[in-house]
Amino acid sequence: MTNTKNAVITGASRGLGLALARGLAADGWSLVIDARDGDALRAAAAGLPPEAAVTVLPGDVTDPAHREAIARAAADLGGPDLLINNAGTLGASPLPSVADYPIAELRDAFEVNVLAPIALTQLLLPALRRRGGAVLSVTSDAALEPYAGWGGYGAAKAALEQASNVLAAEENLLRVWWVDPGDLRTRMHQQAYPGEDISDRPLPEAAVGAFRKLIAERLPSGRYRAAELMPSRALS
Amino acid sequence: MSVVPTDVADARVALDFSLPPEREAHEPPEARGLPRDGVALMVSRAASGEISHRAFTDLPALLLPGDLLVVNTSATLPAAVPLPGGLAAHFSTPLPEGDWLVELRAAGGAATVPYPGGSPGQRLDLPGGAVLTLGDRFTQRLWRARLSTAVVPYLLRRGQPIRYSYVSRPWPIEAYQTVFGTRPGSAEMPSASRPFTPEVVARLVARGITFAPITLHTGVSSLEGDEDPYPEPYDVPPATARLVNLTRRHGGRVIAVGTTVVRALETAARLAGPGLAGPGTGLAGPRAGLAGPRAGLAGPRAGLAGPSAGWTGHIVTPEPAGRLLAVDGLITGLHEPRSSHLSLLAAFAGLDLLGRCYAAAIERGYLWHEFGDLHLLLP
Repeated sequence: MTNTKNAVITGASRGLGLALARGLAADGWSLVIDARDGDALRAAAAGLPPEAAVTVLPGDVTDPAHREAIARAAADLGGPDLLINNAGTLGASPLPSVADYPIAELRDAFEVNVLAPIALTQLLLPALRRRGGAVLSVTSDAALEPYAGWGGYGAAKAALEQASNVLAAEENLLRVWWVDPGDLRTRMHQQAYPGEDISDRPLPEAAVGAFRKLIAERLPSGRYRAAELMPSRALS
Repeated sequence: MSVVPTDVADARVALDFSLPPEREAHEPPEARGLPRDGVALMVSRAASGEISHRAFTDLPALLLPGDLLVVNTSATLPAAVPLPGGLAAHFSTPLPEGDWLVELRAAGGAATVPYPGGSPGQRLDLPGGAVLTLGDRFTQRLWRARLSTAVVPYLLRRGQPIRYSYVSRPWPIEAYQTVFGTRPGSAEMPSASRPFTPEVVARLVARGITFAPITLHTGVSSLEGDEDPYPEPYDVPPATARLVNLTRRHGGRVIAVGTTVVRALETAARLAGPGLAGPGTGLAGPRAGLAGPRAGLAGPRAGLAGPSAGWTGHIVTPEPAGRLLAVDGLITGLHEPRSSHLSLLAAFAGLDLLGRCYAAAIERGYLWHEFGDLHLLLP
């Protein structure tokens, strides 16, 4: 019996995915991390704590063979306790209106943001069930709010949220969380606002505490906003 | 001091008794003109060997401020599905691969009786177009089987509460829910918490009694007397593990509401305990959950190793390997002769006291089964 906990994090080469990889590695987790940009992913892995067991798998989450490789790597660690569906795509940039959304790009957004995380979840489910594990999918307030221009990304995230919602109802042995991290200073957020200054948004590291709390406390399945999970100020 | 049995079977044989039909609760107390919390409560104290007879609503006065009641949040599924030809499928327990343990039953008088038939690979048509495919036999009674659709939503739409012959007519699923049940998943009601009403809970809280949740989805109870329980999915969350340890560290008592809670907490207590036998499960063993404190305290008040989740095959017995590490007391119903639950109870009360309790319960007209009376076993 081992106390090591194993997590799969998709899209871990930068932004929130990398911040989560750093946070979990610091907490002693073994990781399987993936991203499309292999160089960026290897550079990211090199910056993780040297004692952390990290399996680096460059690839595209929409590729079934790559997902199989992720599942094998997780099994090699002893099995996954946590899947973080973080990899995502904004879709077309700058953000087009629904009226003008190129359908090919919309389809791509759904492939990456909805179908790939569902497929990866399916693949890992038996092992996750066995270990009383958890599935965490990163979502956005754009899934709920009618922000002009966010129709493609928002519709895909809404689909991911509802798939998570139903998964939580069907998988009563797992924790299923879908988490809105809030606006963060990430490359994706910059793509949504090309040329604009987004330096007022917090760095992704600011949201990691909320995720760590959710994971460590094994909070009930459901939708969470990172802001509401941040620890309240300690009484002095 | 009571005789400590050296073998699980001893407890069952020593507590073999015949249960007169009039001692069985045939319907919910509400149907007998009583409130939900209007059941009787037998209290036994292991240290003194005393037995007293109280009302369940006396519970706040029987516990002390600082005691912790651990409750099971598993809600009852309508887990019985009628099949064409007079058969019924009782969905007992999910397995990690998505299969379920399923018991086949045949119509027999007012309820159902075990059905010995069925063959591996057999496909059974269920209402609504679902198909149940039998795999292999998991035990003499239970099949490993696969349903063609998600089981829990299917049961919520198509199932009925499991009912045995001692309950003379069907009751709606609400009769089988407890005030703590929030996560559907049990084939049968975790019935020790059935009499808890919001009023009783409020009075316990006002007295300084703390509550903490676990989840254990309990399977069918229709096993033969000599069958051991099979592995069940459970979840002891971090906040509960902390409360258990805090309570014990400060001299409070951890009281399990139901045998399911004992099983979950005693599993969690064994996960990191050096030199202790791990829970024996027929599946890949349960292991530590996602995170949390790993370091338990040393010594007899050790408490939990930490939070954990998975499947547990742990069996609580009076034997050293099965002895209690985390739980001090138990609230439970009255159990059938020769059931494995009796050896769990013997771990709390010892065989001699337990035998006197059951003799008193029969003599004084306590009611057995899920709609019956309760027994508080204190240290």
